[in-house]
Amino acid sequence: MASNEASEREERLKSALWYQIGQFVDEEAAEKQFNATPQFIGALTELVYTQIANSARDLEVFSKHAGRKVINADDVMLLTRRNEALESILKQELDQMRAAEGQGESGQAQGQAKKRGRPAGRGKGKGKAKQ
Amino acid sequence: MPLKAANTVRRKGPSFNPPRPVKPAAQTSTTTKRASGTAASRATGGSKPAASRSDILPAAAILSSDEDFEEDNNEAQSDGDELMEDAPEEEDRRQSGVLDNATPPIPQPLLARLLYENFEDDKTQIQKGAMNLFSSYMSIFVREAIARAKDERDKAARRGGRSEAFLQVEDLEKLAPQLVLDF
Repeated sequence: MASNEASEREERLKSALWYQIGQFVDEEAAEKQFNATPQFIGALTELVYTQIANSARDLEVFSKHAGRKVINADDVMLLTRRNEALESILKQELDQMRAAEGQGESGQAQGQAKKRGRPAGRGKGKGKAKQ
Repeated sequence: MPLKAANTVRRKGPSFNPPRPVKPAAQTSTTTKRASGTAASRATGGSKPAASRSDILPAAAILSSDEDFEEDNNEAQSDGDELMEDAPEEEDRRQSGVLDNATPPIPQPLLARLLYENFEDDKTQIQKGAMNLFSSYMSIFVREAIARAKDERDKAARRGGRSEAFLQVEDLEKLAPQLVLDF
């Protein structure tokens, strides 16, 4: 029963992935003037699903090897260790993300500014109460 | 066409005094909105002046003439508008770097779910930054698969094997081993 349930869940996730991949291929096809058979989309879904499953296991093992239980960006970078071009692209992406985070900390991103602002506000409130 | 002619005739009546001050105002609002360059803002730009006008002019006949007026406006601007809309979008894509993350092939919630389903240890977690990066990774994977499939199709077409433009499973079969080795 348990394995039955698991396989059913896997099937449903695959269906969701199939739908999304199908949508994406259709969008690309309309934009770039090509067509894809439904069988192509199905096969691509299977390929992507397998890649995600393999990556998940890889990432888990990488983080375990580093003595962590939380996967971080370095583990993802390890996925690209055999492909220099891919590594440089993802490195660029990572640098951009870190730069965006840096900007957020200096007060550009509102969400982060609020998070930092709230405890400060409470501190002031307590100060006022004491006075 | 006969409809439009009827509208213009109808519009002449009410446009005599009230819509005249409205006409330049609506145009300026749409032009300023157009500077921001999105279709959504154009839609709000269309609805806002209509709302403000409805405050001043409650008559139903005049409101219907407003709709005609907006249609005319859109028609008149459609040529210039399309260019304006395209330009900033392309800039955004370039700014976002190598990938355009506007439409990832796999939405992040689904991707996270798929990851968590495939972890062997239930306690394993993934940081948000790592998740974003992995999302980019899979996005590259899917795009690369499609690009290589197109390449395979073109090769097959050059060999004269087949003429139709559809990407097929056999294209994917040919590229899959090298793709998986590369990722």
